[in-house]
Amino acid sequence: MTTMRRALSVAVVAAVLAPTLLAAQSWRDVTMSRQIEDNREVRVLVEYAAGHLTVRPTDEGVLYSMNLHYDEDRFEPVADFSGDRLRLGVESIGRGFNVGRGKQSGQLDLELARGIPMELDLEFGAVRADIDLGGLALTELDLSTGASQSTIDISEPNSAVMSAASFEIGAAEFEVRHLGNLNAELIEVDAGVGQVTLDFTGRWQRDARVSIDMGLGALDLRIPEGLGVRLSKDGFLVSLDSEGLVKRGGAYYSLDWLVDDADRKITIDLDAAFGSVVVEWVR
Amino acid sequence: MLKHLLRNALTAFGLAFLVTTTAVEAQLRDVVSKEVAVGRSEATLRLELSGNGTLEIAFEDGVVLIDGTSVGIFEPGDELEAAWWSLLGQARSLEDGELALMLSDWSVPAELAGELADLAQEVDRALEDALSSFDVTVRGDDATVSMSIGDEGSLLQLLLNSTSRLGLMQRALSGLGGDFALHIDEDVDIPEGTAVDGTLVVIRGDVRIGGEVDGDVVVVDGTLELLEGSRVRGAVRLADARLVRNLGTVDDGLLDLLDEERVLETEIRSEIREELQEELRSQFRRELREASRLEFSDDDDGFSLMAPFRSVFRGVGELFKNLISILVLGLLGAGAVAFAGTKVDTIAETARSAPGRSAMVGLAGSLLLIPVWILGAIALSVSIIGIPVAVVWLPLFPLAACAAGVMGYLAVARNTGEWLADSEYPWTGWIRKSNHIYTIFGGLFGLMFAYMAANVVSIVPFLGFLAGMLIFAGSIVTFFAIQIGFGAVILTRAGKRPEWSTPYDADAAWEEAMEGDIEGVEADVEGATDEAQENDDDA
Repeated sequence: MTTMRRALSVAVVAAVLAPTLLAAQSWRDVTMSRQIEDNREVRVLVEYAAGHLTVRPTDEGVLYSMNLHYDEDRFEPVADFSGDRLRLGVESIGRGFNVGRGKQSGQLDLELARGIPMELDLEFGAVRADIDLGGLALTELDLSTGASQSTIDISEPNSAVMSAASFEIGAAEFEVRHLGNLNAELIEVDAGVGQVTLDFTGRWQRDARVSIDMGLGALDLRIPEGLGVRLSKDGFLVSLDSEGLVKRGGAYYSLDWLVDDADRKITIDLDAAFGSVVVEWVR
Repeated sequence: MLKHLLRNALTAFGLAFLVTTTAVEAQLRDVVSKEVAVGRSEATLRLELSGNGTLEIAFEDGVVLIDGTSVGIFEPGDELEAAWWSLLGQARSLEDGELALMLSDWSVPAELAGELADLAQEVDRALEDALSSFDVTVRGDDATVSMSIGDEGSLLQLLLNSTSRLGLMQRALSGLGGDFALHIDEDVDIPEGTAVDGTLVVIRGDVRIGGEVDGDVVVVDGTLELLEGSRVRGAVRLADARLVRNLGTVDDGLLDLLDEERVLETEIRSEIREELQEELRSQFRRELREASRLEFSDDDDGFSLMAPFRSVFRGVGELFKNLISILVLGLLGAGAVAFAGTKVDTIAETARSAPGRSAMVGLAGSLLLIPVWILGAIALSVSIIGIPVAVVWLPLFPLAACAAGVMGYLAVARNTGEWLADSEYPWTGWIRKSNHIYTIFGGLFGLMFAYMAANVVSIVPFLGFLAGMLIFAGSIVTFFAIQIGFGAVILTRAGKRPEWSTPYDADAAWEEAMEGDIEGVEADVEGATDEAQENDDDA
């Protein structure tokens, strides 16, 4: 009886407090932008903890343009440009309660200038990300995500030569499209748990090496016809659906690689455990 | 005055030699970055403008803030706030030139009246002031001058604060013709692959040239950096400026106008030096004349008729000070005897009976005074209850230590006075041993005798060494007297514990006073009495 009374009291208090907490959430909209000055190469760091993130290229003459919708009790915007470093996003200010929150999520819409050479570092947590890096002049890409649902598209070829692209994925549903447009010499994918789709279509301008370290999950490799592929697999309890690949020695080869008919070749080193790998050919 | 300055400035800028002005174009400043923030109770516009300019206008919680300063209040939801929100709505989607134009074109909405209209006027003025550029292009028949000023205040500052520099600028700019670009208080960067037509003039700014300048380069109060591959087709003129790197090509050579300035400066310095030397010579002659005259003066450094008597005055003065000290200490001693005579007795007896032990305890106590004081304060400060005690402890502990030292010194003085009373030294007959006040005064005279003797000796010329020895002896006596007295105070707990003092033995005292055996005296007395009795019987 006492327990019931106590539970009832808690319920009443929660019912009274919940609307208050919800009302305390205060959203703020910020638009920020910076003109292109004499920007040679810029190192861009984007940090976003939770919400919906979009990244797009822009031709508006700005180095960046950022629209931010966030809870000002918990976060504050960051737009710091000094020297050749540009830091964007939001950072936590460690206030407020999480109770009753989450009805409305924050949003960060970011536009980055085409043609400005950039080292891009994207770090986000529990985020739904739609990122289009097409047309940006990326010299290096470092993407790190936690529990997210992310789609990365390189819709247009990278105008700069990228030394390395790195994708660190936690528990995520993660898809990268048009990896060929990255113009990267090395692509590294380190995935924890989840569904990862790597689309190797796009305009390959050089041969590349791809290193994939996959934990538990499903990996879908979409490879365009005509691209020379050498796939070497190392792992434990991993099923490989290697349709269209021919096994020679310890590696799998595409026919274009074997007959030396491919303009560009990629070497994929796959290390996986407890999962499935599917190779899918696309026209 | 202002007209005069302006005329000078314009002359200095070399604008006067330009042909008749046919067109003047004012421009808006570049918006380097913008931030539009809209929240529950806030609508803010932040701009970063070219030339390091910034502007922040915030409508926040009913207050209008311009660069953090409140300029007025508004009612949330009123016409002014609505107009501001509308403006910010447009600002969100515009960039740079369009944004600057839109913001500078903004005017007070017609529907506003009264205070709100005034407030809107403030906002409008702030926008226009911030966005208005001082980039002006003056076109003439033969030449074009473009002028860019980093900060609108810099021109006025330049005019008001640098009138002496205007002459230098005038010289730097003299003879220049054709097109030139004038930059005031801003840095100029000409990257590789770009070219500047005409002459480049930079006042109070740093210039970095990687490309080409098709004319002269004049830098006033700044630095010039010529990168590798850069070229200046004319001459480089530096006026109060530095060439920090010279890896480029300058066709017509480099001229540092301050070289001439430095020559001028050297001439002025030599003139000043000569004047100063002449002044010093005349002053030296004057002082020599004054020194050769006998002047009645008390000045220690000069020669005067009073000089032979200075030592007398000094010695008598010091003696007088010591006598005052004896008087003050003696009065303190009299007070101590009157109000705490027993305690003074105990301390004095302890000092007398155990002087070595007292001295050692006093020395140890003196060394431990400061550590005990500090550690006590720290120990008290760590607890809430101890903090008020520490507040009392800090001033009272040093006072108590001083009081203990004085009390001990007086007790030793009393002993000294008693000793002097027993002695047969001259001028000690006035000390009555039965009266402690006499003994204290007498002892004080005894303890400070060396000092007073030094004062007297110092009056006599050429006996300074002896005076010094006497002062040293007096210091030793005083030191030991204080240590013994302080130790006795500690040993007796300020006179409360008499175990270190020798108890008063009346017989011994009497024996000592009479210098004989008291029992023998009694026997003699008894014998004499018996003899007298027998004589009476015989009679």
